[in-house]
Amino acid sequence: MMPTFTPEQEEFREEVCELLCEDAVRDEIAQARRAPFGQEPGLLDVHRRLGKLGRLATNWPERYGGAGRTIVDKAILTEEMIRHGVPENVHSLGIDIVGNAIHLFGTEEQKERFLPGLARGEITANVLFSEPDVGSDLASLTTRAEPDGENWRLYGRKIYNMKAQHSDFALCAARTSTGPVNFSGITLFLVPLKSIGMIIEPVWNLSEERFDLVTLDGIRVGAEDVLGEVGDGWQVLNDVLPLERTGLDHSAKAERTLTALREHAPPGCEERLAELETRVRAARLLAWRCITDLHEGRPDKVHSATAKWYTSETAKALSVAAVELLGPRALLDARDPEAIAEGLFDASLREAPGLTLAQGSSEIMLFFVAGAKLGLPS
Amino acid sequence: MSGMDTAAIADFFDDELAPMVRRMADRPRTGEDSAESEAREIRKMVWQGLIGLDALDASDTAELAELLGSVLYQGPLLDTITARELLPDNDIGEAPVALAVTDEPWSVQDDRITARRAFVGFAAEVDHFLVGGVDGGGLRLALVSAGHPSITMRRYEDTGRGEAYGVEFAGTPVTTCAGSSAEWEGALAKARVRQAAYLVGLAQAALDHAVDHAKTRRQFGQPIGKFQALAFRLSELSMHIDATRLLVRDRDAAAHAAANLAAASDLARTVTTQTMQIHGAAGMLTDNDAQLYYRRAAVEAVRLGTPSQLRRESSQTR
Ligand SMILES: Cc1cc2nc3c(=O)[nH]c(=O)nc-3n(C[C@H](O)[C@H](O)[C@H](O)COP(=O)(O)OP(=O)(O)OC[C@H]3O[C@@H](n4cnc5c(N)ncnc54)[C@H](O)[C@@H]3O)c2cc1C
Repeated sequence: MMPTFTPEQEEFREEVCELLCEDAVRDEIAQARRAPFGQEPGLLDVHRRLGKLGRLATNWPERYGGAGRTIVDKAILTEEMIRHGVPENVHSLGIDIVGNAIHLFGTEEQKERFLPGLARGEITANVLFSEPDVGSDLASLTTRAEPDGENWRLYGRKIYNMKAQHSDFALCAARTSTGPVNFSGITLFLVPLKSIGMIIEPVWNLSEERFDLVTLDGIRVGAEDVLGEVGDGWQVLNDVLPLERTGLDHSAKAERTLTALREHAPPGCEERLAELETRVRAARLLAWRCITDLHEGRPDKVHSATAKWYTSETAKALSVAAVELLGPRALLDARDPEAIAEGLFDASLREAPGLTLAQGSSEIMLFFVAGAKLGLPS
Repeated sequence: MSGMDTAAIADFFDDELAPMVRRMADRPRTGEDSAESEAREIRKMVWQGLIGLDALDASDTAELAELLGSVLYQGPLLDTITARELLPDNDIGEAPVALAVTDEPWSVQDDRITARRAFVGFAAEVDHFLVGGVDGGGLRLALVSAGHPSITMRRYEDTGRGEAYGVEFAGTPVTTCAGSSAEWEGALAKARVRQAAYLVGLAQAALDHAVDHAKTRRQFGQPIGKFQALAFRLSELSMHIDATRLLVRDRDAAAHAAANLAAASDLARTVTTQTMQIHGAAGMLTDNDAQLYYRRAAVEAVRLGTPSQLRRESSQTR
């Protein structure tokens, strides 16, 4: 069920929308979307504006740069940022994943060191989990952390991560010990990205945002940079990853495509649009169910897997349907003077394949639900 | 049947040439001019090769189109075949032609055409345009010379990053009239059969690429193709391709051209979307052909009508 928003929450939504509709903000967003290929922006002024007002990580306590609001308010912010077209990856990586992981598992020192900067939109962070040979089977990761006195040195290669070029530090998964069971011996580190021993190379892909290949060549980190307990990283990964997966980002994206599609679809598409519209509404309900779960302190992995699968498949279906309904003009890039909807359809078509892969692929969600919900033997 | 069979052309697209053909009209996004002129040279060489092998006189143009789809051929060959069908006296010899036909208005005065046509393929590389438009006399067609100074064009920035142009004809003299509305209907049906065949070829090549990946990529200690979720999906797609190929190759394919093209369009988009999924993030990389199949399918699947237009048309004419 959709939560009933309180007047304060509605007011918060309105305030956020007002800010996002300011001319300067809209110009900045439009410019970001038309940036020359390979020059995608990192944090924008809009992040810093929202950050200064305590709205970016609004659910964090004030001492960490938030406003002590609830996860519902945070979700409202996320939803509106995406509806208004703010590029979201830099925000979701820095705040929703890395920031939240620190908020949940970090030491007081780590929280003070990282959270205020993240919350104010002054620094950002990225996620170094995947490796060339390690995707869905994350537990088999091979990046290793070797003890060096009190410290650690990291060796390995991380790929398919995003925003390393803009980030100040990263949440990196590495192996601190090997044993008979893959998932024991994994440790999470908070590693500086702009330092010796870190080589960042672009990996070009079809979407608007590059991947990065990050080579950790003996970079040194201290005991104070371990997030959670040494060797207990898998547990953190298992608790953090579901938090990424409310599906709200995808449901908001699907909504955005649907709105543009309604505006541009020729007559004769009504039935198809009605079908898509219903699907988008269901996606939003599944996402908000997860937010409510989190708000009430009883996160549910089946709910979140369901939401991740349904919302990302829906967002992808919308992108593919747009071309089917609008024809070639939907394929024009934001940089083409005749582009419709500011090139949204082309950009979302090129982004779509990644939605059902990142943060747990569709197949992994299906696998999980088959066992955890349906009780099928694996 | 007279004409050339396609075996020689299949040989022409050998393991060395095929990868170049796939990429010959894909402008890299971090584009350098030298890469573009190199690509143009390859396109010219491929055109000459195809002409040398009598591709314009292929006896089975659907088979030819499927072959072209399987190497993601990009160029004016299929448009030229259609134009030649509409120009029985063959005023164009073996010169490349681009189709610029829509059922939108144009104006023709003193045998000069004024019109704007969107999404014309390879406009900068052809000798002629076959332009179509609607006025008091219904849909009519005319051949014009591409070199005429009244013609201006602009290449689009689009998903395909290929050679699609907006073309403006501002009082362009007509070389010759090229057929009636009824003749266009017939030629369009054949062009749609070929486009459907092209998409079947594209889908098959994308599936082959996905199957290769499923055999080699390992996760959880085994090739991912061993997971039945993926294996069965690949089998299913293979069966769909099989079915659609039979539709498109059938004797009465031209009578069902619109509906068949809609089916082939769905097929190509589905197969290439799944090819991306099975590849994981690796399929998104610029140098992986998975994303190329995916983008090409998006463009080629709506070239001669969107699936919903095609289905509507087909239901209205039965
Ligand atoms: C847009 C995008 C952003 C990303 N951002 C980051 C990031 O910031 N940081 C980071 O570390 N990584 C990131 N990744 C990588 C992401 O985590 C991986 O793509 C994901 O883990 C899947 O791994 P893979 O791509 O290697 O696919 P693979 O694991 O090789 O899987 C290939 C295919 O096989 C399927 N498959 C795998 N196992 C099974 C099974 N048991 N049963 C059935 N099917 C199976 C998969 O679902 C997939 O369809 C990003 C990826 C994308 C696309």
